[in-house]
Amino acid sequence: MSRVITITSGKGGVGKTTSTANLGTALAMQGAKVAVVDADIGLRNLDVVMGLENRIVYDLVDVVEGRCRLRQALIKDKHFSDLFLLPAAQTRDKDAVGPEDMIALANQLRTEFDYVIIDSPAGIEGGFRNAIAGADEVLIITTPEVSAVRDADRIIGLVEAAGKGSPQLIINRIKPRMVNRGDMMSTDDVLQILAIDLIGAIPDDETIVTSTNRGEVAVLDRTSRAGRAFSDVARRIAGEQVPMPTLEDEQGVFDKLFGMLARRPRGSER
Amino acid sequence: MTTNLLAIKGSRDGLRLVLDAAAPWDSVVQGLEAQLERGAMFFHGARVTVELGERDIGDDELGQILSVLRRHRIEAAGLASRSRASRDTARSAGVTLRPTPRASTVDRDDRSDALLVRRTIRSGQVVRHHGNLTIVGDINAGSEVVASGSIIVWGRVRGVIHAGALGDPGCFIGALSLNPPRLGIGDVLSVARGDRARNHPEVAQVIDGAIVFGPWETTRLR
Repeated sequence: MSRVITITSGKGGVGKTTSTANLGTALAMQGAKVAVVDADIGLRNLDVVMGLENRIVYDLVDVVEGRCRLRQALIKDKHFSDLFLLPAAQTRDKDAVGPEDMIALANQLRTEFDYVIIDSPAGIEGGFRNAIAGADEVLIITTPEVSAVRDADRIIGLVEAAGKGSPQLIINRIKPRMVNRGDMMSTDDVLQILAIDLIGAIPDDETIVTSTNRGEVAVLDRTSRAGRAFSDVARRIAGEQVPMPTLEDEQGVFDKLFGMLARRPRGSER
Repeated sequence: MTTNLLAIKGSRDGLRLVLDAAAPWDSVVQGLEAQLERGAMFFHGARVTVELGERDIGDDELGQILSVLRRHRIEAAGLASRSRASRDTARSAGVTLRPTPRASTVDRDDRSDALLVRRTIRSGQVVRHHGNLTIVGDINAGSEVVASGSIIVWGRVRGVIHAGALGDPGCFIGALSLNPPRLGIGDVLSVARGDRARNHPEVAQVIDGAIVFGPWETTRLR
């Protein structure tokens, strides 16, 4: 049974494209046949994040308008032979395709792949509606910021109204130290507002910036904390029970040392 | 909130305005105008179906109704009529036709049954009900909940909430935590109280023309 999963957020810049690239790659690493689709027509960048920008010949709009076959537009990944990218058109805009085109495209991809992961544009207009049209499931990305959570709330309402069921949530760019200090919303704070199931909590990780710029996704780097968290999300998508580490409790070496020192006097009083 | 000329009905698929089928047309239009004026809080931004019963109307009459609705920022979701002439008028004007419910009569005066909504009301969503309303779930920031009766929320209120929105100050609002940016009961409005969130169950009601908040346990409802 193949699954079509759309990744969306409402607010821009919270990590939709990064998540799509990482989850698609992680699922391929697990041995699945995966297509990642860039539905952000006119602002394409999933190809850059995956380091495939120089290989684009045809794009999604070419397929929809019948200028090429689907197979001709699919670009094979650099690392995994069962991972393919369907790039967005850069010279067109969101009106170039409609929801029914995206449903037809999703159904065509479904016959060849285990997972079809669709990267949605930001916003709540036509581009977003196209991106969820063909989806079986929707993943919402947010960061622990009030504005991003507000937009996620709006998007969840629209996804539910579109009959896609209750989406699952990925909280991206969590800074445990800020959460511990009370300067950032915790995963619990976010979940209390959004009231949907959490499927992943991704720590803030500077290596994402360098890996994105190099076109090498973070899940390929075993030392990347965000990459490991994305791998966990991919395993949960595949149905594995992977415990959710509580990022807020993680403390730096200095904090732990300080905590031990602070505790000692109380112990000695007994 | 019924005059002899007009009834408001709420159902799961939206609001219905039932116009008297026998009274002189001009007084029906005036009655509609007056009702929408009084219920501005309730109707603002709503979608309504207009029920005409047996009355025959032409292009002019239909135009009058549509312009009254437009002036009050109400969207005409459709027209229900038992008259073939009226249906033809609506069809040629491009207005959606809806079936007339069997039990729909003007003289039945009451709010429709209480409605129970079991979900989170999310940013951008509006819940509007003619009658009493119970919501099991949070009312998130950026959403709006409006009822012509009282509202009970088994959850947190962070969005705009308005009870008694057809002008009934005797309604109340109760919630597990009540932190709306704007709260209304009848024609009385209250804006957010201070910066500190209140996290205990509270009731809001109108006392001497002002909205008064009180703890759930000790407040006596009027």
